[in-house]
Amino acid sequence: MVDGGMRKLLTGNAAAAWGARMARVDYVPAFPITPQTEIIELLSDWFGDGTLRGKFVTLDSEHSMLTAAGAAAAAGVRVFTATSSQGLVYGLELLYTLAGWRVPLVLVNVSRGLSAPITLGPDHNDVLAARDTGFLQLHAETCQEVFDFILMAYRLAESPAVSVPVLVNLDGFQLSFTREAVELPSAEQAGRFLGPFQPLHPGFRHSRPVAQGVAVLDGATYSYFRYQLHRAVENALTEFPRVAAEFAETFGRSYSPLELYRADDAELILVMIGSYATKAKAAVDRWRAAGRRVGLARLRLVRPLPVAELRRALAGRRAVGVLDQNLAPGLGGILFQEVAGAVAGMANGPAVMRSFVGGLGGKDVSDDEFDHLLSTLEAARPEDPPADVELLMTQSEWLQVARSLTVAGKEGGDHAGSS
Amino acid sequence: MIRVRLHGRGGHGVKTAGRIVGSAAFHAGFHGQDAPVYGAERRGAAVASYAWIDRGPIRERGVIARPDLIVIADETLLADPASGVLAGAETATALFVNTDRVEALALPDSLRSRVIAADLTSRTLAALGRAAALSASLGAAAVRLLGAVPLDALLQAIRDELTAIGVAPTELGKNEQLARDVFALLQPLAFADTGKSLSLAAQSAPAASERTGGSMAQVGYEGVMRGTPSILSGGNSAARHTGAWRVQRPVIDPALCSRCGLCFVQCPDGVVSLDAEGYPVIDYDHCKGCLLCQRVCPVGAIHEERETRAW
Repeated sequence: MVDGGMRKLLTGNAAAAWGARMARVDYVPAFPITPQTEIIELLSDWFGDGTLRGKFVTLDSEHSMLTAAGAAAAAGVRVFTATSSQGLVYGLELLYTLAGWRVPLVLVNVSRGLSAPITLGPDHNDVLAARDTGFLQLHAETCQEVFDFILMAYRLAESPAVSVPVLVNLDGFQLSFTREAVELPSAEQAGRFLGPFQPLHPGFRHSRPVAQGVAVLDGATYSYFRYQLHRAVENALTEFPRVAAEFAETFGRSYSPLELYRADDAELILVMIGSYATKAKAAVDRWRAAGRRVGLARLRLVRPLPVAELRRALAGRRAVGVLDQNLAPGLGGILFQEVAGAVAGMANGPAVMRSFVGGLGGKDVSDDEFDHLLSTLEAARPEDPPADVELLMTQSEWLQVARSLTVAGKEGGDHAGSS
Repeated sequence: MIRVRLHGRGGHGVKTAGRIVGSAAFHAGFHGQDAPVYGAERRGAAVASYAWIDRGPIRERGVIARPDLIVIADETLLADPASGVLAGAETATALFVNTDRVEALALPDSLRSRVIAADLTSRTLAALGRAAALSASLGAAAVRLLGAVPLDALLQAIRDELTAIGVAPTELGKNEQLARDVFALLQPLAFADTGKSLSLAAQSAPAASERTGGSMAQVGYEGVMRGTPSILSGGNSAARHTGAWRVQRPVIDPALCSRCGLCFVQCPDGVVSLDAEGYPVIDYDHCKGCLLCQRVCPVGAIHEERETRAW
């Protein structure tokens, strides 16, 4: 089979594996977890049959897996790895370490809600727990973006101005197990965009053993290095448009850190990340068809947060709603805080902001819920008292939950669903 | 847009059948999307798969709450409310059920007129020698009912999808012939009656929004015991009738049984007990149908029967 140069139906997981394949990765440390496992299974097949040359290694945990990934990247080879949910938070300590080592590698996270209670369905509490590690974060909406972002991620990670690891996120089930058409470039085309890895760190030579030490004990030196990491991550804001322009030139698909959908003249803007943005676009189209000026702003890049683009996109809007597919207990939606922080202090910032939490643990965000969200924004006025974060759940879903609680013997709640 | 939801049990080939529908639509020039849904990954557990087909890009993610076509691989699922086979069926154009006794199905009267039935299991057994290898026949049934996807796109999809899961080239021809037979057996549905059309030539109507109905819930604080996701209970696994996962049923012939007890010892689920005379008795509420007992029986006293009935 000719490698690539075709359009085919791929799951998000297969698109991720193809991304690693087209990046001609040298080393893949792996550990299985649903809904990510298909990625490493495919890569294992390809290393096994000689399609990929290099080393595929199964480790005993995500903690070891990420240690191996960082060490290999420091040794000077191109590294890919993947995890999800519990695996990501189990390896979280290493994410800080790897970013501190300033090693370029790509980690795919397939989002899945965190236990307890346990779920296999997607939400973003796992990946957003990693938001302050120093990894860049790219969030895909489609299987095509999964593939494309992995190639772009290597360019960003390996850029001398950045040189930090990159996390590419896709939603479990909604992307990981969903097949849709993906354009795969030829290997030659991919190679033209992403050349061979040229490590900035000394790299490992068998004839020249070296040890890497990273101990810094005093606060001032520590502050210096942490600030260097901050600046490196911020530099990705400058690098992203360059990489994206070259990507568009090579493959014909163009990406900005913040996607704006029918937002030009929109009075109401919905801000979100991830695969449910596909449904949000359908909702925007429905509202547009009814003559309402609504639009969508979807963050592809969450770290670094494209603050300037957010400010430009949200300036002067009548109302902005943020739909968080995560919940920070005691705070609300994580992205709402970040978006509100980005526009804080603007003279012409959005007149009203509202926070919604939906789609936790893979719960659907139905058309009704998008309609409710947009209706809430439409009715919101600056003089209204501050509104709490709102959990999106339909009455019929709540009745189903109440029935389950009754079956489980958990009596005593308010089944009517009023607070 | 046409939304197809397929239901079966792990091992029936429902995931691959959904992929055959998605691929066939893709080969025919439509936008196709497909996805399986399952919880615990095991043979016999209820699984579903989805396929979306439209002229333009699919603007949905996740669940199909309101399918246009429901395809049911195993009629016993109708008796299991937890499998959600009939969720959203009120607005479906049709339900296809793989059965040889449509009149006896546990279905509400409101749905009965929209049921299309055919015994795919017998056809699959005859064609392939395995009753549960339903991917090609289920996929063919769904594609034929869609109407707008031609036979050659279906056959290409079957070749692609079965090759991808390691089906031997010698088996592909049998699956293709099975698909041709099922394709010839069924007639396309009149989706146009619902105001939907699935045609590459015509501009399809804007996708009807998938309403789940009703207002938003207001969820308040409800206390620690109710609000903690724990269930404290004595052992309750016996209440879970894992026998529903069974595709083949082991049946012991006491006339042949030598009472050696090997099936009792070897059963991995401990569902074989011995009666007062030492004859083995199978607990069909919990036997998953692995047929290990049949394999270890030294006198051939255990034969298998295909499960076709809800019980």
